[in-house]
Amino acid sequence: MPAIEAEGIGKDYGSLTAVRDLSFVVDAGEVLGVLGPNGAGKTTAIRVLTTILPQSRGRFSVAGVPSTRSREIRRRIGVLPESAGYPERQTGEEYLTYHARLHGHTRGSARAVATGLLDELGLLARRGSLIASYSRGMRQRLGIARALVNDPAVVFLDEPTLGLDPAGQRQVLGNVRRIAQDRGAAVLLSTHLLTEVEENCSRVLILNRGRAVAEGTVSEVIRLAAAPRRGRLQVAPEQTERATAALAGVPTVARITPDGQPGWLSVALAAPGAGPEAVSLNSAVQALLDAGIVLISFQLEGTRLSDAFLAMTEAA
Amino acid sequence: MEQAADLPLERGGSPGWAVVLGQELRDLWLGGRGLLLSVAFSLLLSVIAYLVATNTALNFLEHRESVNLVLQVAIAVGGLLTLLAAADAVSGERERGTLESLLLSPVPPGQITVGKVLAALSLWLAAFAITVPYMWFLGRGVGIVGDALVTGVVVGTLLAVFLASLGLIVSLFARSNRVSLSLSLFLLLALFAPTQLPSNAQKGWAGELLLRVNPLTAGEHYVGKILVSGHAWSEDLSWLLSPLVAAAVLAVAAPILGARFMQLRGGVVE
Repeated sequence: MPAIEAEGIGKDYGSLTAVRDLSFVVDAGEVLGVLGPNGAGKTTAIRVLTTILPQSRGRFSVAGVPSTRSREIRRRIGVLPESAGYPERQTGEEYLTYHARLHGHTRGSARAVATGLLDELGLLARRGSLIASYSRGMRQRLGIARALVNDPAVVFLDEPTLGLDPAGQRQVLGNVRRIAQDRGAAVLLSTHLLTEVEENCSRVLILNRGRAVAEGTVSEVIRLAAAPRRGRLQVAPEQTERATAALAGVPTVARITPDGQPGWLSVALAAPGAGPEAVSLNSAVQALLDAGIVLISFQLEGTRLSDAFLAMTEAA
Repeated sequence: MEQAADLPLERGGSPGWAVVLGQELRDLWLGGRGLLLSVAFSLLLSVIAYLVATNTALNFLEHRESVNLVLQVAIAVGGLLTLLAAADAVSGERERGTLESLLLSPVPPGQITVGKVLAALSLWLAAFAITVPYMWFLGRGVGIVGDALVTGVVVGTLLAVFLASLGLIVSLFARSNRVSLSLSLFLLLALFAPTQLPSNAQKGWAGELLLRVNPLTAGEHYVGKILVSGHAWSEDLSWLLSPLVAAAVLAVAAPILGARFMQLRGGVVE
């Protein structure tokens, strides 16, 4: 049974269509990264799937519960909303206990759940401190803890690392991985940070202007995007002209231009779709080595998720 | 789509409205806001009671009228506190960004509304408790302490239920917390406006109708009949009709509207 199954979801705000014809499936224990530029419809899609907003079209099920039973869905999900607010005058423990009780726990079991989650998220030492005194990273971890009070089957995290420093981001993302691995929950992680997705997600869904433009594993999406490939080569500055001449004879190299810095050359490769040989730097590198040119470094661009993301969202 | 998996969902906890009520009471009273408002209320009542009881220059009121005046102020200000607490209940959470996590819980919005209205009513109960010693002090000489307390708790509670429900309904639809508080205050002042009309405008069938249909003026009129005119409690019960109807209608309407319209964006029906 898929943890999330969406079929043709659409959401309109008057004449504006925020999400259109969105279909995808997420399995238990999987982390699906939802990528998209600002205004792509990520938050709206999450609000529809978490029953905060009714969909205008389509249908979905979460943890096997159809969208028509919103209260049942809310029992089985955990959500960290984008820019969630926190009651400044409550302690972290009070806050989690309250939300556990909203999910039906008794006072005693709610307190036990709160303590366990504060420990799991590294906040136990600050359990009695007012939330007003928490840093942004601590608040995000508290929000994740709140999303877990009901031991959810599906967890939705909307921009959980927004505004965090690198250490805070690493902590939060570590928690996200553990939710999927240790709890077996499906996680839908909305973000605009591509490295977060590359490092933490088993699959990616790219949204642009409310529409899904790609879905699959990171490598599948990169392949699907067919981003233009470019190589950058660095040779000894005095060998630049010889290197240019050597590269001119390579059939997979379409164009060679100076890169602006001494010794650097920019190499446009053959158009995508001409096969894996055509979009690698192997032949170019071999040609330089055969000509006795010292190759200092090289980079192949167009092979990262960021390249795919830009290719897909800018093209649309 | 497949059927829901069997999960242990019922955990034996309290009903949702009771959990919300408990948390709202903690926020209101342990957070200090309720306590501060109660202190301000008791200061106001002290000043008024002191003036009507001791100041010979201002003490032109009869004893019974003094009790009536202080009780009416207590009901009005207690109602105001209740109204403002309820007016902040939804729009305030919306602005502080805490409404979404509340809506994401399985507690139905109608129950959330009930918990919030009851929490707001606690301010009236506290205000009435503060009023009791003042009533005793002012009314003991003329033997109307019992009448004042019973009339006060009945009329005050009806009006507080009406105002708390009204404030919450305004809060559901207001686009911002400021709008919610301002509109609620404006409505309260509008409801009290007939009391400022010249006394001859309050007479005749039109004047009486105006006083009777307005729950605030009708309630306060009933209090006056008991305390100042010395009527029996059953003699003017018809004056309690509009406070009773207003309290009942809005107390039922608030959770129904809450279930339908408690949303992330005020004033927008998604």
